[in-house]
Amino acid sequence: MSREILSIDRILADARVWKLKDASAAPPRPVWSTGNSSLDARLPGGGWPTASLVEVLIDDTGLGEVQLFLPALVASQRRADGEIPWLVWIAPPYEPFAPALSQQGIELARLLVVRPASAMEALWAAEQTLSSGVCAAVLLWLKGTDDRWLRRLKLAAEAGGALGVLFRPERHRFESSPATLRLAMTRGEHAPHLELLKVQGGLPGPVA
Amino acid sequence: MKSRTASRTADLFAAQPLPAACARPSEAISREAMPAPPPAQPASRPRSNQLWYAVVFPELDATRPQLSLQRLCLHAQQFTSLVSIEMPNALLLEIKGSVKLFGSLARLHAGIDAAWRRLGLKAQSAAAPSTLAALWLARAGKQVLLEDPALLAGQLAALPLACTSWDAERLRTLSSMGVRSVGELLRLPRAGVARRFAPGTVLDLDIALARQAAPRRGFVPRERFRARRDLEMEVENAAYLEIAVAPLIEQCARFLRERQAGIQNLELRLRHRVGAATRVRLGLASSTGELRRLTDVVMQKLSRLDLAAPVREVALLSGSLQPLVATPLDAFNRVGGAGGRDTAPQLVERLRARLGEETVYGVCSIAEHRPEAAWRRVHALRLSAALRGNEKTDRPAAEHAMPRPVWLLAEPVQLCGALLFEQGPERIESGWWDGKGIARDYYIAHQAQDPHQTRGARLWVFQERQSKCWYVHGVFA
Repeated sequence: MSREILSIDRILADARVWKLKDASAAPPRPVWSTGNSSLDARLPGGGWPTASLVEVLIDDTGLGEVQLFLPALVASQRRADGEIPWLVWIAPPYEPFAPALSQQGIELARLLVVRPASAMEALWAAEQTLSSGVCAAVLLWLKGTDDRWLRRLKLAAEAGGALGVLFRPERHRFESSPATLRLAMTRGEHAPHLELLKVQGGLPGPVA
Repeated sequence: MKSRTASRTADLFAAQPLPAACARPSEAISREAMPAPPPAQPASRPRSNQLWYAVVFPELDATRPQLSLQRLCLHAQQFTSLVSIEMPNALLLEIKGSVKLFGSLARLHAGIDAAWRRLGLKAQSAAAPSTLAALWLARAGKQVLLEDPALLAGQLAALPLACTSWDAERLRTLSSMGVRSVGELLRLPRAGVARRFAPGTVLDLDIALARQAAPRRGFVPRERFRARRDLEMEVENAAYLEIAVAPLIEQCARFLRERQAGIQNLELRLRHRVGAATRVRLGLASSTGELRRLTDVVMQKLSRLDLAAPVREVALLSGSLQPLVATPLDAFNRVGGAGGRDTAPQLVERLRARLGEETVYGVCSIAEHRPEAAWRRVHALRLSAALRGNEKTDRPAAEHAMPRPVWLLAEPVQLCGALLFEQGPERIESGWWDGKGIARDYYIAHQAQDPHQTRGARLWVFQERQSKCWYVHGVFA
């Protein structure tokens, strides 16, 4: 009996074992608030994780999907050492409206918009910017991509310490994805409907 | 008539006592012009620590004088280190030090003259202790080699005023006063000349008489890196080209390091057996001499290159060199943030090398009421590590009554379907002065979808006040 308990302890002590309910025990990573309290409550650490890939599945723009990340983008530009890191938006569906962004507090002199000609180039640009170490966050809009590229993006985000956000159509919902966080956004009766599809260190499910 | 006026003017001025500030007219002038009254103050001694040699090329190719003169400068630099260009057709050489080296002024002159003869150029030259004196003498075609500044005034006196190259109006006025030679002008009282003519006149005379220093900027040949390499075999594959180009880039980086300089442009020329060479132009986001950044950009471009034909020879040419500004290095070797392997300029130029110059840009907001004019793309990015205070974007202190949307449509789109209004109106009426005037009432609204009773996208819509038509202009994403 005691031998079995010991072995379970040993198994739990193994760093490779991931404890679902014990996310707080993990070394605290800096997180950035989403600006949505009910979503914050559902995320481990209370916000968007840094140095990771977040995937948002959304079919039509206009549901406030960028707004979910704007507080985090503003926070990421406020660094203690006074240096302002870059934000990169790759292949946004429309032109980012500068007055709106500066109204929200984003340092426009440190925002880079990239318009690649193809999806492959967009992915390449995302990998380069994520891993560069000079960007705090990279937002990428794509129609579709494969699993292998997502893994590369995730590794790049971890290497560069940047937050990678990928916006994709909802039809990719049932494909596997290496993203740290997966989120689906659909139209709702009064407000857009948010559903967490995958949360490392938290519980998936719809967000109230 | 004219000469009478002139002499009367001169008499008038001679009768007046000269003011102290204008009493500069020197020994030379007085000796020449006014023998009777001694100068009010002892004149400053002419400076004679320089010797200038002027060459005028009367038949110089008039279409591209700058270029021709620059080439001639390179020839002249075998005689002295300071060669200065005088547009449109003359060179000035400072030869004080060279005289000693060549033995005598006459021998130096013979040497310089022979250089032009070899080039088949007709040249008029003269040497004098001041730049303008030498130039005027050369323009007048007087081959004078003058070393003593005391003799300047006497030599210049006989020159016609036309050799000064002053503007036509000044020369016309002078000639209508009966003043036709430099000597006649020197005879006029200084105060009167200073008052009547452009201030440059008196200054030019002072410079010509070596009383006023006139430093000149020497010609510095533009230096560029240029190296080529023959390939042992014809290369068809861009991957092999990378190997062939690598030593050239290394050479270029060394060249730049030795000169403490950076470049912002590079050109790679790939020569084929037949046909024109392929030219690949590369731009760097900021001036650099770093091997890693140069390699990065060249390789990125090469990997995207479609070779039309096998390459026999590669050549690397740099743009103009720029002095590098030394930046302090971090003692702890922290380069660009956490886990950083890049700097911002490096990242941007890598993106631009692969995706194209125009595809990577920034945005800035403009203080303007019309939404379409309130922002602009920025291609000249400020890539320095730290933003100075004045470069930071000023946050508009909640001056907009309504929030602005994240996306702005390139063109407003006519609206169809039902809307649920949330906020508004905000009237924007502006721009009548430049023909792109607008008069609109903006609202924030949701698309209403009846069948499922769901709310659609949050939009920024407006009603044109004149036509009463509805348009979508932005999306709150």
